[in-house]
Amino acid sequence: MTFASLAARNLLRNKVRTLLTILGVAVAVVTFLLLRTVISAWTGAAEFAAKDRVVSRHKVTFIMSLPKRYVDTIRSQPDVKQATYANWFGGRSPGNEREFFATLAVEPKTYFEVYDELTFTEGSLAAFVEDKSGAVVGDVLARKFGWKLGDQVVLESGIFPNPVDRTWSFTVRGIYTTTSRTADRSTFFFHWSYLNDGAPQIVRDEVGWVVSRTKDPSRTADVGVAIDRTFDSEDTQTLSQDEASFNTSFLAGFSVILSAIDLVSGVILLIMMLVLGNTIAMGVRERTSEYGAMRAIGFLPKHIAGFVVIEAMVLSALGGVVGLGLSVPIVEKGLGGWLEQNMGGMFPFFRIPPVMAVAAVFLSLALGLLASALPAWQASKIRVTEALRRVV
Amino acid sequence: MTALIELRQIVKEFTRGGETLRVLENLDLDVERGSFEALMGPSGSGKSTLLNLMAGLDRPTGGSIAVDGKRVDRMSEGELAYWRANSVGFVFQSYNLLPVLTAVENVELPLLLSPVHATERRKRAEVALKVVGLTDRMSHYPRMLSGGQEQRVSIARAIVADPLLIVADEPTGDLDRRSADEILTLLETLNSEMGKTIVMVTHDPAAAARAKLTRHLDKGRLRATEASAREPHGA
Ligand SMILES: Nc1ncnc2c1ncn2[C@@H]1O[C@H](COP(=O)(O)OP(=O)(O)OP(=O)(O)O)[C@@H](O)[C@H]1O
Ligand SMILES: [Mg+2]
Repeated sequence: MTFASLAARNLLRNKVRTLLTILGVAVAVVTFLLLRTVISAWTGAAEFAAKDRVVSRHKVTFIMSLPKRYVDTIRSQPDVKQATYANWFGGRSPGNEREFFATLAVEPKTYFEVYDELTFTEGSLAAFVEDKSGAVVGDVLARKFGWKLGDQVVLESGIFPNPVDRTWSFTVRGIYTTTSRTADRSTFFFHWSYLNDGAPQIVRDEVGWVVSRTKDPSRTADVGVAIDRTFDSEDTQTLSQDEASFNTSFLAGFSVILSAIDLVSGVILLIMMLVLGNTIAMGVRERTSEYGAMRAIGFLPKHIAGFVVIEAMVLSALGGVVGLGLSVPIVEKGLGGWLEQNMGGMFPFFRIPPVMAVAAVFLSLALGLLASALPAWQASKIRVTEALRRVV
Repeated sequence: MTALIELRQIVKEFTRGGETLRVLENLDLDVERGSFEALMGPSGSGKSTLLNLMAGLDRPTGGSIAVDGKRVDRMSEGELAYWRANSVGFVFQSYNLLPVLTAVENVELPLLLSPVHATERRKRAEVALKVVGLTDRMSHYPRMLSGGQEQRVSIARAIVADPLLIVADEPTGDLDRRSADEILTLLETLNSEMGKTIVMVTHDPAAAARAKLTRHLDKGRLRATEASAREPHGA
């Protein structure tokens, strides 16, 4: 028997209470990690953004489009390596209207040069470029709908109803994937010209936005400014942002929610500390006479305080580890998998940040220490003679 | 040789809610080495208070306490704890064993405070349990033991560090007659064969009769010291 084993033994005294407390800490840790993962998945889009990409869109609003000729103007800028463009198609699969996925009409040759983090797992870029009604889909989306190369896919769009029969049909020519943390693996890409040819006259030859890749990543912001200046005297002016600021400004709209989540994740830890503190304090109160006897035998106040602290730390460490163990299946596999499939646009990469996983365990240890501080202090301050009188 | 315990002009007051209660009043007491004394008196007379003072659990309001020549009343809290660990064995009315430890682990407990190696600790605890006749209950938890057995474990715990003095506050208070007799016989043996000095508080005249000497405490004073006519019992 040693001091540590003596402290740990107390955990076995009331097994149900110990178990519930560990579970309580574990649930807090899972919740904490879930919230932190939401924040990191969300803000990750800005953090992991490509440094050399500039997105130019209509100065007034996202929804309004730009004349197609702007693409050539932008391509002729000296610092622009390549530029491509896309339209938001707003496609839905008839019969599966509730399943959301992004559908973009793109310039097939250049789009995958600008977004070179997207790689073809099946089919090829050449096959896609050759087939005007061809499409490229993300691997997650393909798996969800069971699409294979050569499959016919029919989509409807509220924005671009096909003048003939309202629907558009495509042939799957490629399936892409990515290791990038910011790219969605559930997007449906097809030829911009296919859309343009079938679109009503008034929306022809318009592009939703232009994305450029710069020659020098450190000058990306300046390139954006230069692009906007080019169109200063035009009727339609542009607003260009590098990808990181674009993502950040998109996130800014959610900043209140993000800070709320941030706050709640802290509150969760605080609650966990109070739960733990309460358990420890209860144990200390029940053991007053035992501590009295130990003090009589010669144990010092610091020993008693040590027992209380060790007990709390063991509890919180166990809770932290159990919580972490539960977080991987619950947060990453369960919820994360679902989010990546169904809300990939918002959460393309929903994984527990490793730093947070480590932090959660250390935080629970630190909070265990904090939670035990007051009970430990009280236990060490008991007066031996009075504690012994409380016997019976 | 001087007495093992020398109390001189001991005053002990408790203050509670602004009122001061004087429990012990200029009390003098010598406890000889190797004696087995019983301390009797009405409830609230201060028996436990007096015992706690000799055992270094509490400090007097006035007067001096020396045990084996050491001024216990002048020791710091830390020194007192160290001294108690080495010099005093405690036996409580309700045993005060730790429920999460087995009998032998409970007995080992005081040795955690001394620089004794783990295997040696266990060996000494086993010897102490042998002395109290519980060799076959070593790995039992307190809840599996009878009251008498629990008290024997606690006596083993009191002697394991080989103290000069054993203090017992109503050690038979919670026990039936038979178990009480066994405990008293054990205390007698520790006194007569191992030479331990024992001071025992009791309400039970039959228990007091097993001691070599009985003192009566009343109204803050030791009313009488009886070497008593019961001397033959002790022998
Ligand atoms: N910590 C304390 N604070 C205040 N009063 C105390 C304290 N300890 C003891 N007393 C008082 O001192 C007096 C003596 O108490 P003590 O416990 O020594 O009596 P006792 O003779 O052991 O009684 P009993 O036979 O009931 O155990 C009692 O009146 C008690 O209320
Ligand atoms: Mg008493």
